[in-house]
This record gives sequence, C-alpha cells and structure tokens, in this order.
Amino acid sequence: MADLASFGRFARTYQPGEIIFSEYEPGDSFYLIQTGKVRITKIVGDIEKNIDILSAPEIFGEMAILEGAPRSATASALDTVKVLEFNRANFEILMMGNPQIALKLLKVFTKRIYDQKRRFMILTLDDPQAKIADVFLMLDETQGTSNPGDEQGDKREFRVTIDDVAHWAGMNSSDVQALLGHFAKQRRIDLFADKIIVKNINDFTRFVNSKRKK
Amino acid sequence: MPKAGSYRSNSVIYFQGDIADKVFVLQSGKVSLNYNDIETGKLIREVIQTGEFFGVKSALGRYPREENAVVLEDANVLAFTVPEFEVFTTSNTRIILKMLKVFSNQLRLIHKQVENLMSNPSALNAETGLYRTGEYYLKNRMYSQARYVLGRYLTYYPSGKMSEQAGRYLEAAETALSRYGDGKGPAPVLSSSSVSDDKSRAYNAVSASAPAPAPAAPSDFSPSAGGSLSDTAKDYYNAVSLFSQEKYKEAFSAFKTITESGDSSEYLAKAQFDMGRCLFAIGQWDMSIKHFTGIIQSYPKHPDMADMLYIMGQSWDKKGDQGKAKAFYSKVLSMSADDDSSARIKAKKALNALGGA
Repeated sequence: MADLASFGRFARTYQPGEIIFSEYEPGDSFYLIQTGKVRITKIVGDIEKNIDILSAPEIFGEMAILEGAPRSATASALDTVKVLEFNRANFEILMMGNPQIALKLLKVFTKRIYDQKRRFMILTLDDPQAKIADVFLMLDETQGTSNPGDEQGDKREFRVTIDDVAHWAGMNSSDVQALLGHFAKQRRIDLFADKIIVKNINDFTRFVNSKRKK
Repeated sequence: MPKAGSYRSNSVIYFQGDIADKVFVLQSGKVSLNYNDIETGKLIREVIQTGEFFGVKSALGRYPREENAVVLEDANVLAFTVPEFEVFTTSNTRIILKMLKVFSNQLRLIHKQVENLMSNPSALNAETGLYRTGEYYLKNRMYSQARYVLGRYLTYYPSGKMSEQAGRYLEAAETALSRYGDGKGPAPVLSSSSVSDDKSRAYNAVSASAPAPAPAAPSDFSPSAGGSLSDTAKDYYNAVSLFSQEKYKEAFSAFKTITESGDSSEYLAKAQFDMGRCLFAIGQWDMSIKHFTGIIQSYPKHPDMADMLYIMGQSWDKKGDQGKAKAFYSKVLSMSADDDSSARIKAKKALNALGGA
C-alpha cells in the first residue's frame, strides 16, 4: 500500500467517537480505511445498533455512487482513524493508480448487487408469510448460521430481531411480529429476544418456492 | 495460466445455479447469457462481444451462476481462476474501471427497483431521518454526535420542516457539551412529541416526529460540521426539501436558480427535471409538457428521460388527451430495460388503466 503515499491530499483523520457520516445524510464520497477501526451503526427504534466494525484496508460508503441517495447507516471512528476520502470526481485517479483498491471495490459492488437482487426477490413475493420465510432463507444463504460449527441438520439460528426481519421484508414491525407469532405457534420457529431459531430451513424453502410465481 | 477451451454450437459453458469459480473471456464465436428478468420474468438473451468478460460477478462473489451461458456459434474462450483474473486485471486497470462502471450502473438500477417496491421513497424520509438521528444522539447525551448530525441537517435543509427545532437542539448540544462534556449532565428535555407515521415506520422502523412549531426564532449559530458538499448541492437539497413540503412554487424558483447558476454539475440536470415536476404538481400541464419537451430536445440523453416521458404522459392524461398520454407511456415502455425501471412500472400501470396501448 506504499503507493498510497501520493494520495495524501485525500487523507482525513477522525478522533475516537467522531462521526464520519450520519445515517440519512446525502453522501457523495466514499472511504478507504488506512488505520484504525470504523463502527457502522443504525438507529432502530430507540437503540443504536452495531452493524459492523471495519478496519484497513476496507472500503465503506461506496453506495455514494447512487448520487445523492441518503446514507443507510452511520459511520464513526472507534479509535483514531485515518481514511482516504474519494468522490466520483477523483475516483478514477485513485483507481488507475491502485488496481488493488479497484478490484476490492469491484468485489464490494458484486456483493451489493447480489444482496439487492436477493432483496428484490423477497419484496416481489405477494404473501407476507412467504416474505418473512424468504428473509430467513436469504440470511441463511448470505450470512450462514451463527453457529456454523454445529450445524444440526435443518435447524438454523439467526442473531436477528423482529425489527431486522421487518426491515428486510419491507414490512412494518407489528405485522411481522404477528406473523412470527403465528410461525411460533405452528412450532416452525422459536422466538428469543436476541435470536430466532428456524427449526427446519427446508420447510421454509418449500414454502417460499410454492408461493413464488414462475 | 488461464486455460483455453473450445465449445461447440449449442453447448453450455455453465448453467444457472452452478457454483462459480471461473471467469471467462470470449475469444471467438458467439455466446449468449440467458436469464429471466427479475422484474418481468421475461427471458433475456445477452450476447457477449468478442473480447468481453463474462461470469465475473458470480465468480468474484462466489455465489451461484445467475444465467445459462449458451454457445450460439462454435466458440473459443479463455477461463481464468479468480486469482488469475485478479493478477491479470491488476495489470490492466482499465478493464476493472470499465467493469466498475457496468457494475455501478447495475447497482443503481437494482437499487431503484428495490426502492420502488418499498412503501416509501427514501428521498422524502431522509430529512426526517436525519433530524431524528440528531435528536436520538442529543437524548442519549452524545452531544458531539448530536452536534454533527444537527449541523448537517441545517446545512442540507436550512429552511426545512424541522429547521427551527434543529437549531435549538444544536444550541442545546453545544451548551451541554461545553458545560458537562459528552455523556454527562442531566438528560436533555426534548420538546417534540412523537407522532407515529406508518409509512416511514414501514420503511425503516424509525417513527417520524412532527415537532410543534417553535415560537422563538433560533439564535444565531454556525453549524460546526464542515461542509464537503458544494453550494449547488446544498441549494439542491434545500429545493428538494421545499418540494417534499409541497411548496411547489418556491421549489420551482429554487430549482430555477440552480439551473441559471451556470454550474455544470450533475445537479443542473436534476434541477431541470425537478422544475418540470413542480409544474406538473401545481397543475400546469401545458407548461410541464413544454418544459420537458425543451429538455428532451437539448439533452436527448438526459438521465431522467423515462421519468420525463412518464410525467408528460400524465400531463396529457390530465388534459384529457388519452391518445397522446398512451403514446408517451408506450414510449417509456419501448425504452431499453436498462433505463429507469420505476418509470416503466408506473407507465405500464397507467397504460393498463387507459385500456392498453
């Protein structure tokens, strides 16, 4: 990463706790972490939830390419953080000189496109129950189970809350709560404060497939 | 070393659902990527040009192939493993840049499609969301965070719905910060009462608040957050805020000022488009048609083309000329699927409502 020295004019330093950008703020730059840790959070209801903690040489804020779209989460410095700040205007200069970063960004975009497509598939289901079931299928595909070591057959454990599920399904929390309660009554899932256990993921796969229009 | 491979016509290089580990380059012959459009279910055939890479996204992301790669005419391809592809492209940065452009366009499109399915467009929520974020930090005595977010709110929305309240919050945050320091002191008393708003809740589980109008004008303050945003951008967001408050005439003037500023940024095109939206919103159908016609003539490649044609269709519809309305809706649908697809969906609906093309 020695070749980044010439990009000093894009360097920014943030002190611990300092916000780099806020959720809902229109954004036109994205960042490459050089040193330190960046915390990504989102305020859900009355809690600021940790989404991720990033360190060098990760990229964040790349959705700024969506021109004026509001930031979907807040990024703040966990310790003293040094980043390079880029925007659409100077992005090409950076990428030309740093193919590794360009490749990294390419991979980030790949993942974002996949995530968004998967999300689109959830949202196009008409049946609200199927939407919720499909959220778990998506989580299973992309994040894996939270305990990969002891994957017991068809059972899956997800560290998500009702609000998370509501967010992914594009539904409001109270509806999701009611429908999850219904699933729990049918003994298809177990609800906990900090996790949801799906007893048979294949059951959900069959259910979603039966509801998806061909 | 990448491996060369020959494929006969009608054979398949990979199937949808295959686990991906290779990136291909077409050297000669003809290959088509076949898949069903996620929105319409229609079968799409995308013909690969000689020299073009394919199978990149699924290989890099290590997820199943999303299409069938079918050989139409005997083809020679080079197959790269992901590490080989990385080595090759890092010495040919132009290739990555080109792919970045393609991928970012795809990302924009799918993002728009997702937004379109959500109950509430994010643009209208951003203002309230930013305000609520500042309020949250203040309430939790995270004064410097509150100061940043409220400062940003006032930068983007100086005459926004909640600007007076945001000004007072900012002052409260500044005072508490200098008097007690972050995380200390009594919990600030917030005056706004939360009124739940189903639409915004459905979007992101943040309830919107409607603060009571403040009698006192905010004392003068200087938002401490440094603005990396250009003045034009600020003006633009402020105009958007006016539009979202349904102050269409004021918004129109604000957008007009931007188009007359001589600034050649992306905001110019956006502002021009939004002027037409304002005209439509205040029921000036003729003016709106005239305005959009002017834009289309001078910028045939305007990024908001599909939306413009859709609104023109709406304007004719309102004027009672269903024939012209249909013509415009059909034009939206005849545009390539790559173009703004929320306009396509709306146009399709509108066309159906008029009894088809």
